[in-house]
Amino acid sequence: MSQAPVLELRGINKSFGPVQVLHDVTFSVYPGEVTALVGDNGAGKSTLVKCIGGIHPYDSGEYLFQGEPVHVSGPRDAAALGVEIVYQDLALCDNLDIVQNMFLGRERKRGLVLDEDTMEEMAAKTLAGLSVRTVKSLRQHVSSLSGGQRQTVAIAKAVLWNSKIVILDEPTAALGVAQTAQVLELVRRLADNGLAVVLISHNMNDVFAVSDRIAALYLGQMAAQVKTSEVTHSQVVELITAGRSGELGLKNGTVA
Amino acid sequence: MRAGPSQEEIRRHNLGTLLRHVHLGGPTSRAELTNRMGLNRSTIMALTADLTAAGLVREELPKDTGRAGRPSLVVRPESARVYVLAFDVGVDRVVAARVGLGGAVLDRRETTHARGSFDLADLVATLAGFARQMTRKTRADTVCVGAACAFSGGVRHSDGYVRFAPNMGLEDVPFGEELSKKLAMGLPVAVGNEANLGALAEHTRGIGVGCRDLVYLHGEVGIGGGIIVNGQLMGGMSGYGGEVGHMIVNPGGRPCACGSRGCLEAEVGERALLEHAGRYGEPLGRDGVRAVVEDADAGDIMAQDALHRVGNWLGLGVANLVNIFNPEIVVFGGMLREIYLGSAAQVRSRVNTGSLIASREHLRLRISALGDDATLVGAAELGFSQVLDDPLEVLARLGN
Repeated sequence: MSQAPVLELRGINKSFGPVQVLHDVTFSVYPGEVTALVGDNGAGKSTLVKCIGGIHPYDSGEYLFQGEPVHVSGPRDAAALGVEIVYQDLALCDNLDIVQNMFLGRERKRGLVLDEDTMEEMAAKTLAGLSVRTVKSLRQHVSSLSGGQRQTVAIAKAVLWNSKIVILDEPTAALGVAQTAQVLELVRRLADNGLAVVLISHNMNDVFAVSDRIAALYLGQMAAQVKTSEVTHSQVVELITAGRSGELGLKNGTVA
Repeated sequence: MRAGPSQEEIRRHNLGTLLRHVHLGGPTSRAELTNRMGLNRSTIMALTADLTAAGLVREELPKDTGRAGRPSLVVRPESARVYVLAFDVGVDRVVAARVGLGGAVLDRRETTHARGSFDLADLVATLAGFARQMTRKTRADTVCVGAACAFSGGVRHSDGYVRFAPNMGLEDVPFGEELSKKLAMGLPVAVGNEANLGALAEHTRGIGVGCRDLVYLHGEVGIGGGIIVNGQLMGGMSGYGGEVGHMIVNPGGRPCACGSRGCLEAEVGERALLEHAGRYGEPLGRDGVRAVVEDADAGDIMAQDALHRVGNWLGLGVANLVNIFNPEIVVFGGMLREIYLGSAAQVRSRVNTGSLIASREHLRLRISALGDDATLVGAAELGFSQVLDDPLEVLARLGN
């Protein structure tokens, strides 16, 4: 468990024009663990994730991947490293089937034509590896799937590419209890399979149910990154709302 | 005083071990079995030959390995031929299934049961009826190698005698004996506490595979517990061990069906949750609990508060268990799946403040992977235990 982080950010700063959104953010993600990223609306969670995914360039700071400093200047660089992000809107195409969605934009070709067989086989293998038994056919259109199943497909799509880090933005928002349980089980399984998982969530029960570490952002600063086995619900809520809780968190507006 | 085990005992042990590998791991190549069991190839070959002759496994050529060289034969369990009858008697439902070697559910029947007292004769007749329906259709060469039942109550493991089942209105009934008589298959019916068998199921086929130390908590009307220590189910002297639902967490608290007050089951069970949420008489059981969790998620303050309170007591109970057993994993099954997911923040916080750092630092809290079938799967495993301990003897006894 106490391995070296697969991703480490140090002193990341990011401004949009005159507004500084991230101040000296330090963030580590470990293989085989779920790291929950929590924070109030506007705390900078999405911006941080987009910096990791190469969508926003950061102004300054270090980006270390498996201990090596790297430069990520676009989503393709991040994907090449093995960083995949599943956004809240899932970015699935309703009019395409599961396999087509999973390979969208990265289709396998054999000569000039698409290699449908290989793609279907890879998709089936990925879903089986995640013990997903809820989808009946891989050639089903995504429009016919339930919310939980869509989330599953989006997550499987992220895992397909030998990814090392999967970032999930509010995967359980808008899901019923049974489907939430399914998705949380899947999130946990990703980590148990050795992936590093970042889970963004506002639901403290989800955070405490699956995470190994909790990173709390407060007004663009990393208030604290703690082990889930060492904090209480109220401490995390204080970190989110006030940036500090007893010994934990920011001291006078700076990181302790 | 005796010398080491005889050759016959070693062979029996190896046969059982090999069969167990195939039963739990699914089709496995001989080469893989050689590796896992640490025996030499000719021994594995002789053992599989014996099991094949007994009709417990069959050997096949693998489809294609994609590798050079003569492929190693794959040993498959004879799932369609060798089976057990597994029963699950819960407060709200009664299930019977025919489960093949290897764990595949071949056939199942279930019925719901309205809340209230069970009648022993009715219950036994229902189960035996299901069993007869399922066995009638089987081919002539199939063989039933065992029967077992998961029961929501305190069961004496030696003879399946139900000592207490306060949530089912049964007390001191020779359930195992009656069911065995009614089945009339010449098989004793092994009976186990439902949470103990749930623990066994999660340990062998669920989320806890590979864990030596596991605590399973099963929620129905009450809370049951099954504890696995160093790979073995902790049954206690007579089989009543693991009743963590009657661990007192709140002295002088809510009255419990067992007669005491403030038991974990009284503070965390279905009744506590529904009453805190202000729901009387509305849907009970799984649906009632799910509705509370669902509503809490949607912002119902009463429901949120109910989960909060229940989660606190659940966390306190888990903290105590963690301090006593230092488990690798605590699994929430039955209705506790929903309750845990709806109150994980409280549960985890309580565990983090109430248990020793050394005991909890590698602890994992997980929900059951087998879901509602955990207890049934556990019953099937109990049914298979004899044939896995001594395959040839059991088959010989069945006159095969």
